[in-house]
Amino acid sequence: MNLTAFRGTSWLVGVIAFLALLPFGVPKAQQPTATTQIENPFAGRADLVEEGRSLFNQYCSHCHGPNAVQGERPRDLRRLYIRYGNKASTVFYETVSTGRMDMGMPVWKGILSDEVLWRMFTYLQTVQTQL
Amino acid sequence: MSSKLSTLIGGVLAVVLAAATSAHAQSGKEWMMYGGDYANTRYSDLNQINTKNVGKLRVAWIRSLGTLESQESTPVVVGGTMYVSTSSGPRYVFALNAKDGSIKWKYEPELPRDFMSTVCCGLDNRGVAYANGRVFVTRLDAKMVALDANTGKELWTTTVMEYKSGHSITSPPLIVKDLVVTGYAGGEYGVRGAVQAYKQDTGEMVWKTHTIPGPGEPGNESWKGESWKVGGGSTWYVGSYDPKLNLVYWSTSNAGPWGGHTRGNDSSDVGPYTNLHTASQLAFDGDTGKIAWHYQMTPADVWDYDGVNEAVLADLSIGGQKVPALMKADRNGFFYVLNRENGKLLSAEPFVNVNWAKRIDKATGRPVEDPAKRPQLKKWARNVCPNLFGGKNWEPMSYSQQTGLVYIPTFNLCMDIAGKEEEYEAGKFYLASEFDLDKADAGGHLSELMAWDPIAQKRVWGIKEDLPILGGAMSTAGGLMFYGDPRGIVKGVDAKTGDVLWKFGVGTGIVQSPITYMVDGKQYLAVVAGRIKGPPSFLGKIGQRVIDASPEGGIVVVFELGQ
Repeated sequence: MNLTAFRGTSWLVGVIAFLALLPFGVPKAQQPTATTQIENPFAGRADLVEEGRSLFNQYCSHCHGPNAVQGERPRDLRRLYIRYGNKASTVFYETVSTGRMDMGMPVWKGILSDEVLWRMFTYLQTVQTQL
Repeated sequence: MSSKLSTLIGGVLAVVLAAATSAHAQSGKEWMMYGGDYANTRYSDLNQINTKNVGKLRVAWIRSLGTLESQESTPVVVGGTMYVSTSSGPRYVFALNAKDGSIKWKYEPELPRDFMSTVCCGLDNRGVAYANGRVFVTRLDAKMVALDANTGKELWTTTVMEYKSGHSITSPPLIVKDLVVTGYAGGEYGVRGAVQAYKQDTGEMVWKTHTIPGPGEPGNESWKGESWKVGGGSTWYVGSYDPKLNLVYWSTSNAGPWGGHTRGNDSSDVGPYTNLHTASQLAFDGDTGKIAWHYQMTPADVWDYDGVNEAVLADLSIGGQKVPALMKADRNGFFYVLNRENGKLLSAEPFVNVNWAKRIDKATGRPVEDPAKRPQLKKWARNVCPNLFGGKNWEPMSYSQQTGLVYIPTFNLCMDIAGKEEEYEAGKFYLASEFDLDKADAGGHLSELMAWDPIAQKRVWGIKEDLPILGGAMSTAGGLMFYGDPRGIVKGVDAKTGDVLWKFGVGTGIVQSPITYMVDGKQYLAVVAGRIKGPPSFLGKIGQRVIDASPEGGIVVVFELGQ
């Protein structure tokens, strides 16, 4: 896969950002305090799982473990849904994009395209634990 | 401690250091530098604690280090004071009374909040250096600081490199006459390695030598195109020094990125693209930094056979002659004995299971590769042994003058690895590689503390362990060898036979080697403990077992003989 072909913001995030900026006239008190939900555009795409696993192992496994197997709980990405519930995809996207520099997580925006990030997430969705 | 006494001790130290011969440099009664002596032997002449009474060791004092990341520090003990750094920056450097652990002073540097994302393998710090009343501290934000050894007051700070572009410093500097010499990490971030020397009194830089030659310098032709600019060859571990030859020995990390298609032929037929001087042993002139000789262990490295492991210096009797030798148990699985005057290969044999190379050609000094075990772009090499943790990693070995044996914490792991396409970006992890390290080699053990005869080049005995990442080794004239494990068990072993004579659980994993020292006529054993946190992440299920072996921690535990 040519990663450079996928660089830049995906149409989906673009649309979300555009919608978020529209003046809907909602009273300020009723505006959602959490960030707009961001969903995986590839959710359920079994054909992308293996590619996502390979990308994950290339870019993430030195901290998060090969095949997401990781004993340090704060870095264990098999627990995204236990930790964040239905916000897991949003937290994933925002954390990878903007980093958590004071916790060791780099900023990946501009290096990994959205298409790459969501392929990784599609893989991670297959290894989530309930325990 | 009065400044007068400090000056006196500094003077005594200088004399002792100057008296350190090119043979087996003496560690004296204290523990004056990271490797115990300039030769990095981690051997102590003390014998009050010995094979007969080691069972009577009991805890004398404990000090919390205040951090929970991997504790990889070797304390330095000078003039009855223990100087010990902690993980996370370091977050602290403590000066402790070596007899009771009471705090004389504490140094707490101001560190930027974002240095963690440019550190590959844990928030470690392996210790400080002492000379002439000053303590030298290197930091993960790639700065070096000189402190007043009496007060902990900062004397000067210098920026060795810019941390945001992937540089960091994890190991203590080396004292060379009036200089303090440091390397830096970053081989996983596309840095270009160097060794840099500073004046101890002012922090002014005196020399800097890149490990990767620039255009016009010999060796630059060993790189494809512009790849030398981001070629790694970092210098993240410690140096050794031979005062007689005035040679500083520093070795270099893996070539960067790990994927070799970026910098050469992507083939076992490496042609001119050996990528000098990565995965190499270098000798530098102590005054000028000029490279006196080089020996490359792994040409055109694609396995992350990072060559930084410590050079241990000893004069060995080989073929009826006393030879000034340099010993290295390399990540690539071979135990090298070089002539440290000129870098000539004397012998090299595998000390663990090695299948990426059949042998080291004695005439050329180069490995004879098995091409099937060289990963290429999008082509996996399967079951490559050792894996990229190496036959041995940084956890130090010890050379006992008494037994003539080297005690090596080894790994018994293999890997699958392949090259991948990846773009360089400053300050970002740059591997161009995909790998699976979650693979035990045969034998049912994952590591072994091994006694190795460096002259005969063969294993004498070993203690097999069910978890990898053993702590470093230390040996003494009391006939003992000490090491720890990821569960936090420190063991006192008969250095001749490998019999475990004493063990004690300190409660959290041990990565670094114990040390020993004498104050007021009494010998102590000190263990820094705090289970490793970063590198197990690479190991999948095996790494998970290391992490489960003990909770993280941060302590120094000191033992003395009971009645």
